[in-house]
Amino acid sequence: MLNNFIVALVERILNTALKLDTTLSDRLAPIAQQRLLIDIRDWQQQFLVVFTGQQLHLYNTTEQQFDCMISADIQTLMALKNPAMLTQLIRQDKLDLQGDLHIAQGFSNAFAALDIDWPEHLSTYLGDAPAQQLWQLLKQAKQQGKKTNKQLATTLTTLCQDELKVTIHPLELEQFKQHTRQLKSHTAQLELRINQLLQAK
Amino acid sequence: MNENPEKTTHFGYKTVAETEKASMVADVFHSVATKYDVMNDLMSFGIHRLWKRQTIASSGVRKGHHVLDLAGGTGDLTAKFSQLVGDTGQVVLGDINSSMLKVGREKLHNLGLVGNIDYVQMNAEALPFPDNSFDLITIAFGLRNVTDQNKALRSMYRILKPGGRLLVLEFSKPEHEVLSKAYDFYSFNLLPKMGELVANDGESYKYLAESIRMHPDQETLKAMMNDAGFEQTTYQNLTGGIVALHRGFKY
Repeated sequence: MLNNFIVALVERILNTALKLDTTLSDRLAPIAQQRLLIDIRDWQQQFLVVFTGQQLHLYNTTEQQFDCMISADIQTLMALKNPAMLTQLIRQDKLDLQGDLHIAQGFSNAFAALDIDWPEHLSTYLGDAPAQQLWQLLKQAKQQGKKTNKQLATTLTTLCQDELKVTIHPLELEQFKQHTRQLKSHTAQLELRINQLLQAK
Repeated sequence: MNENPEKTTHFGYKTVAETEKASMVADVFHSVATKYDVMNDLMSFGIHRLWKRQTIASSGVRKGHHVLDLAGGTGDLTAKFSQLVGDTGQVVLGDINSSMLKVGREKLHNLGLVGNIDYVQMNAEALPFPDNSFDLITIAFGLRNVTDQNKALRSMYRILKPGGRLLVLEFSKPEHEVLSKAYDFYSFNLLPKMGELVANDGESYKYLAESIRMHPDQETLKAMMNDAGFEQTTYQNLTGGIVALHRGFKY
């Protein structure tokens, strides 16, 4: 039941996005009533997505009836945020697709172009000017957050590599790999020489 | 001269004449119809919506399908099926009780769901459709109210298309003793009081609790479906067996 609850929640979020982005329905219209089955391999779960023209329906199912099925790991599926990745992932065998490719492309393209006019929606509650100001503030906070994250990551890396010495620099790792490869090559040559000498004897 | 004794059946814990059960059940649902949805949410803490989601997830329904939502009452399942079968499909919302059908019709119209839904007052024991009419039949929390359940199951089998399936969502026997005791306490002590407060009808909710205890358990219902002709019959316990979802196919 917990699965069903979470899926119901995600469905609610998807339908909220459908209401907030007024053009999402139009982008999904060509694939209305088509069933996309998403098989998440590492979760061992399958989800059926259908756009009925009015709403998005999402179900956790064991049924094997679909118009298009995508089977992949969760990491690979996240890469589908970029629709151009779809055919590349299929060629790399990271993603298995059965049925009509256009359905998968349709969903991917529709959500990749998701564009919610947040200031417009906020303005119904706050008024135009406050909504714009709040939106600008949130955007600045997001950019600041990204900057802080990056700084923290750099600081942590430097701390671990230079101060605490619990990790090594990527260049050091590359050097180590190169040395190991050379050693392997020398060992192979030595083995060949020994075998030749033994055979000559 | 020997007289044939009148056939009896159960109405909750009471024994009543078979001929009287349908009208007694009718009285219950005429009484609760307008508060049915609110009470469902209250009594199950909203979990009934998740049980119904599981039913739809197990249905295999798709565009163009013909679906019968039997004992569909206020149309929770019909609302979803109507969208999923699309303009080329059809959903029949069937119920023996006119008050429930009226509430269902109003609710679905208010949701803007018109066009592919028919409303038919019908008795599950004698379904008024030709053989092989439907791709899917669902009966959610209705089978336990039917007087002759075996007759109803045979009727459902007749009107299913080959390859079609029946889904029975119904209260059943909890899997664990502790849950069973807690459930009994809740059903017999709290439900009738909630019914009295919200729906002004404690007796109907006492019938609800009793009728659940009189309903066949999971394996018995599975056997009944097999006897009616269904194949590959399976069931899934939901919420510890408080509810079970049975599924059978016609081949």
